[in-house]
Amino acid sequence: MGIWIIGLIAIISTVLVFFLPRPQTQGKSFWTFAKPLYENYQPVVTRWNETRPPEERINMVHLQLQALERRLMSSFLSGTPGPDLVEVERATAGQAFRGGPQDIGLSDLTERIRKEGLLERINPPSLALWTRQGRIYGLPHDVHPVLLAYRADIVEAAGIDVSEIETWEDFSRIMAPLMADRDDQGRPKRYLLNLWETNTLAIEVLLLQAGGSLFNSDEQPTLDSDRNVHVVATLVSWIAGPARIAADAPEYTASGNSLKLQGFVIASVMPDWLGGFWKGDMPSLSGKLKLMPLPAWEKGGLRTSVAGGTMLGLPKAGRNPDLAWEFAIHLYFNPDVAVAFYGKTGIIPPIPEFWSLPAFNAPDPYFSGQPAGQLFIQQAPYVPARINSPYYNFSLACLTNAVGAVKQRALDENNFSSDFLSKTAAQELAKAQAHVRRQMERDLFVDKKE
Amino acid sequence: MKLCATSSVKAAPWLFLAPFLLIFGAFTAWPLARSLILACQQTFGPTNTVFVGLDNFRFLLTDPLFWTALQNTFVYALSSVTLQLPLALGLALLLNRPSLRGRTLYRLIFFSPSLVGLVFAGIIFSIIFEKRTGLVNVGLHRLFPVFDLDFPWLQNYVMPALILASLWMYVGFNMIYFLAALQNVPRELEEAAMIDGANAWHRFRHIILPEIKPVTSFVVLLSLIGSFQLFELPWALLSGPGPENRGLTIVMYLYQTGFLTNDLGYASAIGWVLAVILFTLALTQQWFNRKETRS
Repeated sequence: MGIWIIGLIAIISTVLVFFLPRPQTQGKSFWTFAKPLYENYQPVVTRWNETRPPEERINMVHLQLQALERRLMSSFLSGTPGPDLVEVERATAGQAFRGGPQDIGLSDLTERIRKEGLLERINPPSLALWTRQGRIYGLPHDVHPVLLAYRADIVEAAGIDVSEIETWEDFSRIMAPLMADRDDQGRPKRYLLNLWETNTLAIEVLLLQAGGSLFNSDEQPTLDSDRNVHVVATLVSWIAGPARIAADAPEYTASGNSLKLQGFVIASVMPDWLGGFWKGDMPSLSGKLKLMPLPAWEKGGLRTSVAGGTMLGLPKAGRNPDLAWEFAIHLYFNPDVAVAFYGKTGIIPPIPEFWSLPAFNAPDPYFSGQPAGQLFIQQAPYVPARINSPYYNFSLACLTNAVGAVKQRALDENNFSSDFLSKTAAQELAKAQAHVRRQMERDLFVDKKE
Repeated sequence: MKLCATSSVKAAPWLFLAPFLLIFGAFTAWPLARSLILACQQTFGPTNTVFVGLDNFRFLLTDPLFWTALQNTFVYALSSVTLQLPLALGLALLLNRPSLRGRTLYRLIFFSPSLVGLVFAGIIFSIIFEKRTGLVNVGLHRLFPVFDLDFPWLQNYVMPALILASLWMYVGFNMIYFLAALQNVPRELEEAAMIDGANAWHRFRHIILPEIKPVTSFVVLLSLIGSFQLFELPWALLSGPGPENRGLTIVMYLYQTGFLTNDLGYASAIGWVLAVILFTLALTQQWFNRKETRS
């Protein structure tokens, strides 16, 4: 008897699940992945919804980054329910860019952007990451320029004038006295730079600053370029060997933060968004830090770089794209939203006309009263343009592995001469290049160009 | 009437088997067949597929990442058998001694790490193995001042760190199997051997070990299978495959391929190779067992 009851319940529930109408959310669905973004947009969404009929209202959903990526890719690849608007970061966009234009799940916004005259209103390098084969698939949310944050209390107490620093060579030479103090094992008590062989963020930042790259404009890997070889060899000489100036105080970890508080590392590469995290995680550094442009690789070279990025896109499967576009413009070209977001996170907008707003020029007590916003803004037009690819993260991992391998070989052979480092870097990067190329060549979906 | 009764009798076993067959077909046989088909396709998500025959397997044979993953997994599995199990057996022998006071408490203490989730263990050990501030380096530096506070466990010594973390997790767990087996060793056999003058080693070698052999075989097989399915611990410990893929395991590579690059076809091929490895290991172990039983 029992088995029949269980069977009956199973059949009834199956039929019910199959035939029950799927609950339809009213209005447009908008997915975002970061809590600060979600919180910042909330008042705008509320105001929008108050003035709109139900079908035009915005239903904003905050999803964890990986959950958003999985659900978005599922919606692109298998037609599962997806959003009408979505905010994605670089790696997710790279995944979405696999295949030709017809395969990309995001709408081509090029004509809309041109028609509205937005091309002239957006910081040009900020569009590069969201552009594929000349077509733009997203509105940039940010610029993410990079400066160098340093322990002003320690540096100034040592009588060092950072205005004399123009290049990384100057940086090593002028800051060198700070590494004079030694511990009981004869090692420096402080290091000049927060960098190590698996610090993907800093390695990418420094590579891009130096003019290195992971992909060329044809989306072909360029890992083994001469410039990359030079950068990798130099970075290894910074993190190991007799000329070592760098050590690791990782981000987002208690131990890393504790080392930063102790002044174990004097300087860290600082994208605008990282400042927001530092303020939350290490409030006691307030007033002890200052920002300066990144030292250049050569005299007259670039004094900034770029790290990360977020865009707003319209999935092709979205309903009423005109309305979604209207909301996107309302959200991204809204000075109040930009100012509020800067106040919470330190992230500057990619819209130059906002840069003169007073909020971006206000002194920031965390950075010893410097106008942090303005310092980032001064470098914003010069951030290097990046080429996005589904293989960007894979290439970055291969690059980081190459840095680790060069360091290990130098340690094994106790040879840190620039010749040896360059030769080894060239070999390791050639291996990395071959590895990326091999993966890409095997991929039947990646290289469909019209 | 008789014919009807006969056909009912014939159909009865199938009717009884039907629920199992349905569930087995839907959730085991069909996915297995589907994954075999998938292994011969290149995919971008579930709907974009291209039939590539055996190309995935051919690529796998020359894929350095796969070989790195395989090597790492083998090293880890080997450590499971050669370090984890002897330690677990040693602990079980120790805690099986009736003269030991508070042995129930010790058993609980040694078993308790298994109650902790692997992800949690991974995170804890990522903090413990930190340079300069981690418990291991600070502790060793205090004990032996020459020990380098900067010892890079999670950079250059990923596998030893992983093995140490897994020892903490699994020694107590495997100890329970051995304890259960040891408690079934007839005490009179040991007593007779003692009367005959057998020392502790002789009793262990000639009485205990043969008596607990079936359980040992089972634990070895279980450990090997578990080791080949290793994923969460290194993933949480290293936040990914680790520097130069030193913590990359086969299942981690399968996950990366299937769910980060969306190539379910290649991931299926990796899965099938893993299945073949496990099947071979199980068969080899059975062959050894039979051979020993016969001899």
